[in-house]
Amino acid sequence: MDVQRYISSGIIENHVTGLLSEVESREVLSTMQQYPEVKAAADALQVDMERYIQLWATKPPAGIKRQIMERLHKTEADEPVVAESETPAETNEDTFSENTGLNISQLQIWQYSAAAAIVLLLGSIVMNVVSYSNSGSYQQQISSLQTEQSSLMAEKEALKEQLEFAHKEMGVMKDPSFKWTRMPGVGKHTGVVATVCWNPQSKETFILAQALPEPPVDKQYQLWAIVNGKPIDAGVFELGNKAHSVQKVKPVENAQVFAVTLEKKGGNPSPTLDQMFVAGKVAG
Amino acid sequence: MGAAVTYTESELVLGLKARNEKHFGYLYDHYSPALYGIALKVVNDETVAGDVLQEIFLKIWRGIERYDSDKGRLFTWMVNIARNTAIDTLRSKAHKMGQKASELGSNGLASDQLAIHPSVDHLGLVKVVEQLNKEQRVIIDLAYYKGCTQEEIAKILDIPLGTVKTRMRNAIIQLRNILKQM
Repeated sequence: MDVQRYISSGIIENHVTGLLSEVESREVLSTMQQYPEVKAAADALQVDMERYIQLWATKPPAGIKRQIMERLHKTEADEPVVAESETPAETNEDTFSENTGLNISQLQIWQYSAAAAIVLLLGSIVMNVVSYSNSGSYQQQISSLQTEQSSLMAEKEALKEQLEFAHKEMGVMKDPSFKWTRMPGVGKHTGVVATVCWNPQSKETFILAQALPEPPVDKQYQLWAIVNGKPIDAGVFELGNKAHSVQKVKPVENAQVFAVTLEKKGGNPSPTLDQMFVAGKVAG
Repeated sequence: MGAAVTYTESELVLGLKARNEKHFGYLYDHYSPALYGIALKVVNDETVAGDVLQEIFLKIWRGIERYDSDKGRLFTWMVNIARNTAIDTLRSKAHKMGQKASELGSNGLASDQLAIHPSVDHLGLVKVVEQLNKEQRVIIDLAYYKGCTQEEIAKILDIPLGTVKTRMRNAIIQLRNILKQM
């Protein structure tokens, strides 16, 4: 290759000023490596171009240097590749330890939460058991109270009945249309007394067994209304706790004499005359 | 400039590769006017040139590992970074604004820039500009500072494509003659 011709061809000028294509420039560079004269010529031109550049040199505005230095630090902090500087490493370490601390505290929170949840669950179970057993005893209390109440109700009903009866008794005694017939003991039954209370208009009849002996378990006293010697059943009556209260018996149409005989339980259609305890004539 | 210490180029490169900010400050103080001059001549706007200058020095700081002193001088390496960065900015701007053609097509290109941006070495520049004819000045600037291709230059200067390389060579020879006299 003719080096001088190559140098004077203008290709070096075009190369240095950037006018050549990439392929052309690479050719020039390899030629420069092969021929020191070509390299010397290119270097000399480069120096001249740099002189030309220096002619255009202009002092940049103040503040740009400071801005560059600031960006320098920013870029270093952003770039993890630049690990020689101590600041990013410290930052990383801080971030790491901070994260670890956060994880531990989060773990602890979970542990405490789990423990609290278990405690609450156990408490809830205990409360359920207690409530359940309590509800059993409450149910027992309720049923016993219900029983008590029903017995009280029954007592009340009984008392009410008694009261009504007492009222009736009193009414009977007060009512002037009732006829009272005292029946003294007959024959061997001395000292035995019963009284019949009869309303001829309303036919209502009551008996008060003031002093009749307790009948045997299988027997009952029966009241008879006797008209013209013929006894008519007026019903059986109890003794015991009712002995001293006025007992209602069957209505009596008519009566001249009242008599009480001891009959089998439930009464007999006709009186057993030898078992007559008391008898009394109705006042005219 | 004004710095008490001076570094040789190899000291400077070693300091920069060791991420020494003192060396980087020294580099800026000594080379920012030349590199700012390039940016200004390329983008023709002080604000944009300032931004470009920041980019240039950040690229130098980040790329200093790749600099190989066997392949060329530090200043040559930095000038290439400056030209490429500024031309890239100009192209993205021109592409956006459709500015490039009209700007390059205007007749008073170099003298306008001269009027706006007084140089550090004003007298020398005036001398160069006076002795280069306008076409020679423009062809150097279009290629070197604006990154134009031969085709673009032919179009802008309205000359045949085949004559661009010849005219460039003549312009450079004239420039070097002027520089020799200085």
